Amino acid sequence: MIRILNFALIVVTGLACIGLYRIAEEARIAQTDLRKVEAEINAEENAIAILGAEWARLTQPARIQALAARHLPLVEEPTLQLSSLTLLPPRALTPTEEPTFRTASIVVPKPAQEQISAPQELTLASYSGM
Amino acid sequence: MDENSEATQRVRSRISVAAILSAIAFAVIGARLVDLTLLNARDDAGAALAEPTTQGARADLVDRNGVLIARDLPVSNLYARPAAFWDSDEAAIGLARVTGARVERLREVFASQRAYVLVARALAPDIRAEVMRLGLPGLFFEEGSKRVYPNGRIVSHVVGQVDPDGNGLSGLELGLNDIVRNAEAPVALSIDMRVQFALARALADTKDAFQAKAAGGIVLDVHSGEVLAMVSLPDYEPNARTLGEGDSIRNRMTQDVYELGSIFKIFTFAQAIDEETITLDERFVVDAPLRFGRYSIGDYGRHGHDLSAAMVFAESSNIGTAQIGLRIGAERQRLFLAKLGLLAPLRTEIPEIASPLIPSRWNEIETATISYGHGISVSPLSFAAVAGSIANGGTKITPTFLKNSGLDQSSVSRGERVVSVRTSQTMRALLRLAVTEGTGSKADVPGYSVGGKTGTAEKPTGRGYSRRLQITSFAAIFPSGDPKYLVFTMFDEPVGNKESFGFATAGWTAAPAAGQVIAHIAPVLGVPANLEILAPSEIASALP
Repeated sequence: MIRILNFALIVVTGLACIGLYRIAEEARIAQTDLRKVEAEINAEENAIAILGAEWARLTQPARIQALAARHLPLVEEPTLQLSSLTLLPPRALTPTEEPTFRTASIVVPKPAQEQISAPQELTLASYSGM
Repeated sequence: MDENSEATQRVRSRISVAAILSAIAFAVIGARLVDLTLLNARDDAGAALAEPTTQGARADLVDRNGVLIARDLPVSNLYARPAAFWDSDEAAIGLARVTGARVERLREVFASQRAYVLVARALAPDIRAEVMRLGLPGLFFEEGSKRVYPNGRIVSHVVGQVDPDGNGLSGLELGLNDIVRNAEAPVALSIDMRVQFALARALADTKDAFQAKAAGGIVLDVHSGEVLAMVSLPDYEPNARTLGEGDSIRNRMTQDVYELGSIFKIFTFAQAIDEETITLDERFVVDAPLRFGRYSIGDYGRHGHDLSAAMVFAESSNIGTAQIGLRIGAERQRLFLAKLGLLAPLRTEIPEIASPLIPSRWNEIETATISYGHGISVSPLSFAAVAGSIANGGTKITPTFLKNSGLDQSSVSRGERVVSVRTSQTMRALLRLAVTEGTGSKADVPGYSVGGKTGTAEKPTGRGYSRRLQITSFAAIFPSGDPKYLVFTMFDEPVGNKESFGFATAGWTAAPAAGQVIAHIAPVLGVPANLEILAPSEIASALP
């Protein structure tokens, strides 16, 4: 009985040794791989940082302006911001409630009543559900 | 037999004790194994192996839209052990070619008896790779980082510089040193690089056209106090280790104080209107200089016999404004300027802040000259902040260089009130009048209803003021009905040219520069043009 037990324990110990060795070896290899990958990540992150800085340098307005002036047949035209979201009429307002339409910021006279009432259901309110 | 069996009995009991002990030992080991592998698998096993972050000690600085302004990049310093070279001459030539070091210097240091010598500092990774390709023995790299500024000169004064150890030396690098050193994420500044560029360009163009000694400008959000752009010319290249010829590290917008001249009339009028000292249609006699003993106050150009208060402002009459200042009185004027914050140094993130120069005696003559901006010197940034406070509805703003997330409107109500809403509205109308009818006409931009005030100050010389040397400035707000931004431009000693018919006053220099800035930045900042105030021909020419 005790002999069988002893034998079994020796076998288990042997297996445990082999198993442990394998795990230790795998861990060592994994650690080496990890270091390598981390070094690669590090290098990539450094490259990203450098490329990001380079991108910022190349896309700075001063440089683009100089390049555009040299290579493009563009002339500087006055630009106008015609409208903004804050100038949009509130959703709930139907055109009939508003005395005037605001297109950009030009005040245009209110159209005649029959022109907007012709397709009766087409008010701003009916668009809000779409 | 008896003895024999007794001995056997003893051996058996010893064996069983040993067996029990080993069983316990195995059980403990087994239990610990199960515990470690199955029950209590540690998640942080990898943590000890994790690499320190690749970023340097300082966080990135980005503008309000996330555009990179400053970043630590990995670099290496290259050292050599000359004794290890086979052929030190060949090594010197090779290293000089790759790193850009002077070959004579390398030959010299390689010939010296020193064990280690520095070959080159701050090598980028690609150059480092090329050095490795030379295959020379006895080379050592020391890892480090270098702060780079991709935008170069454009934001040099605002951002400032760091020393080789990564400590802030000037500008926001110093002012925000603790934040930048401890931040994990990039630090967002209030600066908008597009606006910064537009301002720098307009200032440089005008500075060249009028051969000015220096120029400066500020774009400020009048509600949140965020500085969208600040430029001081001449500037410098922050990535270079030495200053170029004609470059200056002096930030004229914060580090210098100026007698700003007529743009100070904004404060005199704001006080007079707020305290109801004058009415706008009241007439002031402006046909003769005001005399104070040996001194006299005159006007630039003539304005006829008398002017209404509104036109005193628009036409920028010193004689008229001095009378208003005298009516306010010295003590009330001093208290009002103190309340605005003009008599104390500004508190903001930029550390280079000059203290204002205020008169030691504040008598009648000082009151009169201060009313039109002489006899008191303040930094342009402090001026801009106070002018913004008057234009934004009357609440005090403190200029900031950090992006204010979601504060804009709500922060206004928190500021201390400096003038009433009504006064603020009147001042907006007066500023608009100075552009439509007065000296600031060249600042107007079709559709954006610019309001603003010119200031042409004579520079103090050894004795009195120089007629020829001037500081010209312009403070503009837009849109004037409900101002969002303030644009300040300033030129130091501009000289008249052919296009300006020899004039170099603010109306010819600072005002058009401010107009140019507004025309560029208004669409960028999403300020809608007001087509109602555009003439049809202007609409046609502005539309594509």
